[in-house]
Amino acid sequence: MAVGNESLLLAAVVLGWVLTSTLIGALVMALRLREARQRERDKDEAHAVVLERLRDNECRLRAIIESEPECVKLQAADGTVLEINPAGLALVGAERDEDIVGKKIYTVVAPEYRDHYRENMRRVFAGEAVVYEFKSITLKGHTTWMETHAVPLRDARGAIYALLGITRDITERKWGEEQARRHQTELARVARLSTMGEMATGIAHELNQPLAAIANFARGSLRRLRGGNVAPADLLQPLEEICAQAERAGEVMRHVRDFVRKRDTRMTAVDINRVVQSAARLTELECRQHHAKIMLDLVSGQPRVWADSIMIEQVICNLIRNSVEAMAEARSPVRLVALSTSRPDDDTVEIVVGDTGPGIDGALIDRVFDQFFTTKPEGVGMGLSISRSIVESHGGGLRAESAAGGGATFRFTLRAIGRTLLTNERRYSFHH
Amino acid sequence: MSDATVFIIDDDQAVARSLRWLIETVRLKVETFASAQAFLDHYDASKPGCLVLDVRMPGMSGLELQERLAARGGYHPPIIFITGHGDVQMAVRAVQAGAFDFVEKPFNDQDLLDRIQRAIAHDAGQRDKEELRSQLKALFASLTPREREVLDLVVAGMSNKAIANTLGLSAKTVEVHRAKVMEKLHARSLSDLVKLAMQNQPG
Ligand SMILES: Nc1ncnc2c1ncn2[C@@H]1O[C@H](COP(=O)(O)OP(=O)(O)OP(=O)(O)O)[C@@H](O)[C@H]1O
Ligand SMILES: [Mg+2]
Repeated sequence: MAVGNESLLLAAVVLGWVLTSTLIGALVMALRLREARQRERDKDEAHAVVLERLRDNECRLRAIIESEPECVKLQAADGTVLEINPAGLALVGAERDEDIVGKKIYTVVAPEYRDHYRENMRRVFAGEAVVYEFKSITLKGHTTWMETHAVPLRDARGAIYALLGITRDITERKWGEEQARRHQTELARVARLSTMGEMATGIAHELNQPLAAIANFARGSLRRLRGGNVAPADLLQPLEEICAQAERAGEVMRHVRDFVRKRDTRMTAVDINRVVQSAARLTELECRQHHAKIMLDLVSGQPRVWADSIMIEQVICNLIRNSVEAMAEARSPVRLVALSTSRPDDDTVEIVVGDTGPGIDGALIDRVFDQFFTTKPEGVGMGLSISRSIVESHGGGLRAESAAGGGATFRFTLRAIGRTLLTNERRYSFHH
Repeated sequence: MSDATVFIIDDDQAVARSLRWLIETVRLKVETFASAQAFLDHYDASKPGCLVLDVRMPGMSGLELQERLAARGGYHPPIIFITGHGDVQMAVRAVQAGAFDFVEKPFNDQDLLDRIQRAIAHDAGQRDKEELRSQLKALFASLTPREREVLDLVVAGMSNKAIANTLGLSAKTVEVHRAKVMEKLHARSLSDLVKLAMQNQPG
């Protein structure tokens, strides 16, 4: 796909360049020619020669455009289609020029993409070369995906008077992407199911303990009662134990319910900074209770990632809670949780949660991600295990570090989006 | 049998307490340990009884404890493993490595108590045998090298005369040695002597 994209881009660049730097001037005149035609009739011989030459140019330009397999069109700033080639007519589902020429291009842009389209047009008329995708509903009523490479056209004085767009049908590619995304979701679901399988084994063990204790206390009591050699007061202690163990089993179930929410992953393009901010807000109360402060250090430019924002938010909340709990438990004099986002490269966004707590013992650092590994009396030991599987289902990794001077750091990465456009613009900036 | 102790080793204190409550209904002594290491630190091999331990334990696992006890050499009480659901394979390995028995959670109380009784009976039997064996060892150790030679040949079925010839002694001397051996080993007949000699075989 990348290769196809690049060769197309190259073609577009070459075509765009040729058109803009050599033939465009002629095209400008060709356009003016329309009005000129009315007046020219009475002009003298010399004029006729010039016009002849212009007409020649127009013909040559037309020949190129007409034979161009991609859709080529000229648009005015208000979206009016000025010119379009036969390939373009076919693309928008028009039979004749009149079906689309002189009309607004928005008639074939899907309503939900019109603003997006307008914004891109505005950028072109501000002098930028842009590549944009949009959903189109053709004059014949078909829904298709289009990609347009657009450049501004300038007149002799340098004023932009039209947009030259080369558009192609990318429905198939889009469909492929959609398939790939569905596949990804499916993979994530399978991954989650298998970690849930593992989890189920862990939960089974975790529930077996209180249940076994309950059964033993109950049977021991029954045997004594049946033997008739027990004072009621002697049964108080085992009955208390039974209650406590039943509550313990309930606690395990509560945690399981909290963590295993029956919902599909909803992958959308999300601004990671917003997710981090929202996680910070959600844990504000706990922070305040334990006298901990959150510090944010967020990378600029709203880096976007494909993610299920609720799940990632849950991961960050888990990490913040662990930090706060660790610092409170250790009675750390300084209690800070540092949340930061960064963009180590074009493809990646990294999220780091660090604290000023006791850190993690070197011998334990590999075990903290194990299910049911906990050092807390009230802990279940699911937080990090769940968090890691969430991050992994997003194609990233979650790691723990502990500095010598104390403090634990958890970091994970997510794949950034918007990269294609970025590199394309860099590599092939249009000249005009 | 009332002096037997059930040693419970379980990291889960609630489970350990509940086992104690259950096992004490059959009038057995119970001692609980929170980890395999704690047990090793306080273990007195001379106390009769049996071990009840969870296969899954943080730190030293039940299987490791079994290995450690075996590696110490000498006798250790029988071990009953408690396994969780799905740990049966681990239990099978434990039994192959010499565990006495295993019960799968959730278990029937009577079933567990029966197994414990059997383990304790087995332990008592082993200890009796062990006792006998060490007594015999002491008796045999009291024999002189010459008496030992005579005994070996007697057990091999030789007559006094043949023994005298083989060892280059007089029949009378052999007779004296033989009587001494019978006396030292508290044997009343030749067949007693043969039996005792067999029991003293190592193993
Ligand atoms: N920031 C931290 N500093 C020090 N230790 C930590 C930190 N985060 C996690 N740990 C250690 O890792 C263990 C596992 O964490 P995890 O979140 O999986 O479970 P938990 O917090 O104990 O219980 P819960 O299931 O309720 O989250 C903790 O009990 C703690 O010992
Ligand atoms: Mg946690």
